[in-house]
Amino acid sequence: MNYPVWVVPVIGSGWVIGIIAIIHILISHFAVGGGIYLAFAERKARKENRKDWLEIIQKHSRFFLYLTIVAGAMTGVAIWFSIALSSPEATSALIHNFVLGWASEWTFFIIEITAIIVYYYTWNRVSAKKHEAVGWIYAISAWMSLFIINGILTFMLDPGKGWLSVAGTGAEPSKFWEAFFNPTYFPSLLMRTLVCITLAGLFAMVTASRINEEKEPKLKEQIVKWSAKWLMPAFALIPVAALWYYLMLPQANKDLFKLGVSTIGQGIFTQLTRNAVFLIFASIILFFIAYVFLWRHPKSVKLSHALLIILLAFSIIGVTEHMREMMRKPYVIGNYMYSNGIRKFDAEKFNSEGYLRNTIWTTEESKTTWHIQDTMTSEESDNLSSPIQPDLYRGELMFRGQCIACHTTNGYRSISKLLKGRDEASIRSIIDMLHEYKEDSPYRKFMPPLVGTKGEVDALIKYLDSLINKIDQ
Amino acid sequence: MAKSKSLGPDTMGTRFYKWLDERLALSTMAGFLSKKTVPQHKHSHWYYWGGITLTFLIVQFITGILLLIYYKPGPDAFESVRFITYELEFGWFIRGLHHWSANLMLLALFIHMFSVFFMRAYRRPREFGWWTGVLLLLITLGFAFSGYLLPFDELSYFATKIGLDVAESLPLIGPALAAIARGGTDVTYLTIQRFFTLHIIVLPLIILGILTIHLVLILKHGNASPPSEEAKPKNKRKEIKFFWDFFVKDITMWLLALNFLILVTILFPPQLGSPADPLAPAPEGIHPEWYFMSQYQFLKIFGNILPGAIGEFISIGLMACALLLWAIVPLIDNTGKAGKRAKAATYIGLLSIVILVVLTAWAYLAI
Ligand code: HEC
Ligand code: HEM
Repeated sequence: MNYPVWVVPVIGSGWVIGIIAIIHILISHFAVGGGIYLAFAERKARKENRKDWLEIIQKHSRFFLYLTIVAGAMTGVAIWFSIALSSPEATSALIHNFVLGWASEWTFFIIEITAIIVYYYTWNRVSAKKHEAVGWIYAISAWMSLFIINGILTFMLDPGKGWLSVAGTGAEPSKFWEAFFNPTYFPSLLMRTLVCITLAGLFAMVTASRINEEKEPKLKEQIVKWSAKWLMPAFALIPVAALWYYLMLPQANKDLFKLGVSTIGQGIFTQLTRNAVFLIFASIILFFIAYVFLWRHPKSVKLSHALLIILLAFSIIGVTEHMREMMRKPYVIGNYMYSNGIRKFDAEKFNSEGYLRNTIWTTEESKTTWHIQDTMTSEESDNLSSPIQPDLYRGELMFRGQCIACHTTNGYRSISKLLKGRDEASIRSIIDMLHEYKEDSPYRKFMPPLVGTKGEVDALIKYLDSLINKIDQ
Repeated sequence: MAKSKSLGPDTMGTRFYKWLDERLALSTMAGFLSKKTVPQHKHSHWYYWGGITLTFLIVQFITGILLLIYYKPGPDAFESVRFITYELEFGWFIRGLHHWSANLMLLALFIHMFSVFFMRAYRRPREFGWWTGVLLLLITLGFAFSGYLLPFDELSYFATKIGLDVAESLPLIGPALAAIARGGTDVTYLTIQRFFTLHIIVLPLIILGILTIHLVLILKHGNASPPSEEAKPKNKRKEIKFFWDFFVKDITMWLLALNFLILVTILFPPQLGSPADPLAPAPEGIHPEWYFMSQYQFLKIFGNILPGAIGEFISIGLMACALLLWAIVPLIDNTGKAGKRAKAATYIGLLSIVILVVLTAWAYLAI
């Protein structure tokens, strides 16, 4: 269950995480791929005894060090802050389930950071052999950190049958490995590794493009071309990896892709289809540019081109990550916890006992008043001097608790826009559908059930009506 | 390109090339193109914008033709666009591309025009390049205005109505002009039919003709160097070959522009409002698209100072003069050297940008 205190206007908390995460993902995947690149490049340059190239590699490792250690680490920590604020329940679930995972993840981080610092500062100070060894230590530990985080990320999409069968019983740790090597683990690992290698090639252009093509034309041509080759594995294998990944998805997630094929109607969840369309085109465009420009005309590449092409890659990564987020709807942890932090198996309980009553952030007083109201028989309430009004405060708490994980009042996926033009009765019919959550409800595909007592549902309707139709009370 | 000269062994391919070359003079053209160069300096990136504009135009042609397969002018216009947007598989995508590419084309066109202006590339012998360019701007605005009506939803109906009301206020020809455009006294499906003809046949034919001239002139004269480059001695100036050194960068920019187009399309696919209803009041805060906002605001300001037909007439007259001034800049700054006239041109350019930006911002704040 989430805390209704962090209300981000306009973009919503999801996009705060989203923006930080997309930057982090770009850098962290480069941190993995770039390590492998450095190791291979240094080995090749030393074998061929290329002083000029080694100099470039050293320069590149400085750029690499600054970007990954500073920006990479900062955005990584920022993700923790933002997810802990917006989805404390899910964050806690991940921490508790993967204690071993996180512990090893952080061990690899420490090795990684130490290794890259040592690598950079020991250029020309230790023997070639030792220096190369440090490079390999970095490359391997960086990839291992991907190996681990990938287990946790894919777990969130689909924890797998084994883990789900014990979820909520306290015996979850017994299924650690099953949860870790969940159905989408391997295709995702392949895909991410390919992305890492591609980014290594692209970021290498930042350094390579600055070689003066008039003074050292041969060198520039060789390095740009050699780096461009790093894009090849992705071009050959990404379609395969993507297909494999798609096939491993639970049917419900696959179905989400079809929602936007024939429409972009309001209230229908179409982001996945739209994102998929973009990814297909953007990948082809990246391939084209890489071939025509980087491969065929390496000497013409300037820093500004390199940055623009990285921006293109950035748009691809941003859209992919957005897609991964969207695909989990309506869950934050597949089939276990809804996006708003409510566990699937708690829904029944909240419907009978009340949602707010089970929170730890509502006063006892309110809980008692609401409980009395909800359990009053119709006779009792008829005898009251003034009839009970569902109160707006209660409705707003319901909204914050259950809806703001995905909606804002007036910005991204704005509830005001989605409900525009509806009167109270018509709002009620939608909200009732969300509450009943019938097998054939279209909303099941992307929204969690609305849980709570009748009094709570009424309060939410009242609140939404006041929001849309600006009733003053 | 170099390959074409040393054709190598007598293979099927080379024989076919020779066959074609004899009839189409391919190697003459290739020879000409391979000699073409592009000045290289720190402002070279402005040379990409014409090509980017062209890319978006090509997208307009392709997506426009695809839309035509399902679009029905006349009484079914709204329903057909609704069908394209909300039922046809990936119809929303094609329509979205057409919608966004229209906007981006205008944006690229403005950037292109102003960059050419500040490089003073309209000077001898490039005057006709400038004049055809101004025509291309007007035609593109015509495309945008005529296309905007075609979905015939509330917004497009009122935007067109207001636009034609402005035309109507012109003295003498105004009423007749508006009546011809509308096909009567009101905007109806007859208007759609007329705008459709403009949008689909007339403007495409004209734009192709003028664009051809525009492009041939560029091939003939090459890219102009900005004054800062001209000031340098000849041996300090750099040039690169058009094929392939510049052209690969060009292609890269086109592809990046396409990527951006697809990105905005999937992020913000255009929706469709409710069907046009002449009897309903105009929706609140209705306003034209951004590229007409500055003109709209200018009319509004004048309408407040000088209400009535006179005010409209004068403001339209002033805008026409501004456009004329813009078109004759090559005749004002005609000495080819730096000096008073060149300075005057620069001030005209800066002033135009300031006026356009201020009026547009003002218009949006006033909604
Ligand atoms: C898992 C994320 C998620 C949560 C939580 C969520 N929604 Fe939604 N909701 C969506 C998505 C996605 C859409 C589709 C909107 C779109 O992009 O067009 C949607 C659409 C809607 C619509 C428009 C439906 C229509 O047919 O027009 C309403 C109303 C709505 N949500 C209300 C709510 C309310 C009330 C809550 C809280 C009880 C809630 N949602 C919680 C994701 C969510
Ligand atoms: C020969 C080329 C073109 C053809 C065949 C064509 C065709 C069409 C068609 C059939 C429509 C109606 C469908 C709809 O509204 O989505 C349309 C709309 C439109 N067109 Fe074009 N078009 C062409 C070029 C252009 C150009 C060059 C521009 C401007 C730069 C333009 C701007 C527009 C606009 C703004 C709309 C309204 C779009 C919307 O509301 O989504 N078109 N066009």
